[in-house]
Amino acid sequence: MTTPGEHAAGPPPTEAAVRDALRVVMDPDLGRDVVDAGFIHDVSIDGDAVLFELRLTTPACPVRDDLERQCREAVAALPGVASVAIRVTASTRASAAVAGAAALRGVRHVVLVGSGKGGVGKSTATVQLARALAAAGARVAVLDADIHGPSLVAMTGADVPTEEGPDGTVPPEVDGIAVVSMGMFLTANRPTLLRGPRVTGLVRQLLTAFAWGERDYLLVDCPPGTGDVHLTLAQLAPVSGAVLVTTPQEVALADTRRAATMFRTLDVPIAGVVETMAGFLCPSCDTLHPIFGEGGGARLATDLGVPLLGRIPLDPAIVASGEQGVALPADAPAAAAWREAGGALARRLSVLADQRGDALDQFELVWRDVG
Amino acid sequence: MSADGPRVRRIWQEGERTLGIAWTDGRTVLYDVVVLRRACPCAFCVEEDTGVRRLRDADVDEAVRPSRVVSVGRYALTVAFTDGHDTGIYPFDALHGRSAAFGGRDAG
Repeated sequence: MTTPGEHAAGPPPTEAAVRDALRVVMDPDLGRDVVDAGFIHDVSIDGDAVLFELRLTTPACPVRDDLERQCREAVAALPGVASVAIRVTASTRASAAVAGAAALRGVRHVVLVGSGKGGVGKSTATVQLARALAAAGARVAVLDADIHGPSLVAMTGADVPTEEGPDGTVPPEVDGIAVVSMGMFLTANRPTLLRGPRVTGLVRQLLTAFAWGERDYLLVDCPPGTGDVHLTLAQLAPVSGAVLVTTPQEVALADTRRAATMFRTLDVPIAGVVETMAGFLCPSCDTLHPIFGEGGGARLATDLGVPLLGRIPLDPAIVASGEQGVALPADAPAAAAWREAGGALARRLSVLADQRGDALDQFELVWRDVG
Repeated sequence: MSADGPRVRRIWQEGERTLGIAWTDGRTVLYDVVVLRRACPCAFCVEEDTGVRRLRDADVDEAVRPSRVVSVGRYALTVAFTDGHDTGIYPFDALHGRSAAFGGRDAG
């Protein structure tokens, strides 16, 4: 930078003025201006000379020359600018797949917990399956990727992470289970209005910023339905399988089938179905009352050709466990059901891994220059 | 693609501009990496709504090579090319099922 007044052409422009001027240049394909699209980098102003980088998404960009010319004209028209230098580059960001794979190197099984609809007990299932697997001796982590209603912090009482390790942020642990939630990074009591690209970025950040360490299972609480979060997860992580959570009611089944189709499209095998709210075990008469109907989970599992991993009865102890962030009492009716579901999931994941045979789980081939 | 679809058993560089993939069904396909770049299925190279290819063959230099070939989840691979382009995701079922469109030929 030179001191103001050194140049006769008037005061040098500010970076903000340069960026503002560039907003008239539109990328015809994206329908956004080059500033909004994030193409403008490293603006430097030296007296009456302006230099910046125009970072395109591909070097083969068909409108590259047009964009460069328009940018040059827009900035050159600013008062106080005598020369404009533009460095045209193409983004060569490190491949997201590499970053995701590196962060999860110590994780044996990434398991997505999904559902067709909300309110079926998916977050509860994530926590209880994690507790069941941990109680059986496995090293377990849970990731709350339900960006629209992250609830795992409340359900586990996990603290906000504060410790930075050499491999990233150390996830807080609850009863030996690492807990990371979108909720740790969102402001309480404010709705989360997130669009696609932002969602993808957040999920990637959650996966790659943490030092997951050696884990047998990383269970991911996904948002209900199908969408950006699932797609991002399936791209970033070699997912071992998906658990579909449903209630016994028929109404949820169509949506759950859609979720199943999405997972199959992404080559995420369906590990199985967990049916929640499978009747109320009356403490006074010891009878199971099927207040939400019967058999939805079993029908779905048969339909999809996957195992029914568990049928979990309604149990007031589950509510208490979730609200206080503590484990279910071992003798609670639901506790036994979750233990069985956890065991069934672990067995099924082993079978699925075996069925993959000699297929590579993940690979990274570095090309050699053999002139 | 289904969970029973083709998967990569082995992947390697064959010579100067050929990518070799041994698939789990026993097939071995050798892909020309320049054709692979030209067949990039990403939204910058192919119009998303119409499927019309926006990238012309002439836009891609014959000298382009991969710098890295990396798995994407369990269903696809992505290639970072020396021209800086790295947004293409190539699903295994496409690479396997329509191998010729990606510059692939079966190895004998």
